[in-house]
Amino acid sequence: MRLRFVLLVAVLASLGMLPPAARAGERIWSGLVVATNRPHPAVMPPRPMHRFHRTLQRTFGYNQFEVIGESRKTLQAGQAEWLAASKHFSLRVDPRGVARDGYRVHLQLFQDRQTLLETDATLSQSSPLVIRGPQIGAGQLLLLLVVQ
Amino acid sequence: MKTFEEKWTAWIDGELTEAERIQFEASLEDRVAAEAEKVQSHKLGALLKEQLRPAPMNNAEFFNHQLLARIESETHQSTADSRPVEQIRESWWTIRRLLWTGATSLAIFVVCAIFVIREQPEPDQSQYLTQILNATVDQTVSPNATVSIFQTKQDRVTVLWVDGLQSLPADYAAK
Repeated sequence: MRLRFVLLVAVLASLGMLPPAARAGERIWSGLVVATNRPHPAVMPPRPMHRFHRTLQRTFGYNQFEVIGESRKTLQAGQAEWLAASKHFSLRVDPRGVARDGYRVHLQLFQDRQTLLETDATLSQSSPLVIRGPQIGAGQLLLLLVVQ
Repeated sequence: MKTFEEKWTAWIDGELTEAERIQFEASLEDRVAAEAEKVQSHKLGALLKEQLRPAPMNNAEFFNHQLLARIESETHQSTADSRPVEQIRESWWTIRRLLWTGATSLAIFVVCAIFVIREQPEPDQSQYLTQILNATVDQTVSPNATVSIFQTKQDRVTVLWVDGLQSLPADYAAK
């Protein structure tokens, strides 16, 4: 009886070890962020930006990052999705599937109903993508994509 | 040495040998009374035999049938009682079937692994940076817009730097 149990567990374990082909797709956090300079900025930016917010500060010259729209979605190749959106901006992604060097996507940034920017990119898990958008008041719109 | 009572009982039952019977009858004080008592004992025995005989059954065949049916049902019940033990011992997951199932699963796993490795090599993303393949800005909205791409050394951030987009009022920062 014990032997049978062990064998059954082994069978189930081998079935559970199926390769990652069955993986649903890449889970992506996207955020529309307004970067500004404040005399007393928040100590920590929103969670997905923790790892690289100092790089953002140095690169763009702002000390405060406020998320005005965000999204976490698992992308499936061939299924276009609306990602982060705010009142005036929205991001649309068209996943093109996995390549050797990352995950291929076609991105469109909309301002209201107008296409502001289009880009094709290969996203890598260890490398966030930041797009510098238009100036908004005294701040700057940034578009962030992080593969999780 | 037999007692008198034993000899008396054996005499009445006619179980004494000839010599013992002659000797016993000679020892009796009142032979006539003894013979009368012997006859009475025989009559009593015959009466008891007759009265204690089991009454003949009027429905013997029905009784036999009932008895056989009961024996049969009890035999079936004892067989049924012993069945669960056999079922526990002989479940569907026999050793042979488990081995076959395991081997089949492993074979399926190997086939799937081969196909996946051939068709979709898993990228080791840790060694790659996010790449911008191309970027276009709507020239009708922002005719002076320019695009540049660079990567930061720290944190491996890929930046698509767009200059020349139309500046917007602060209320565009609304959520």
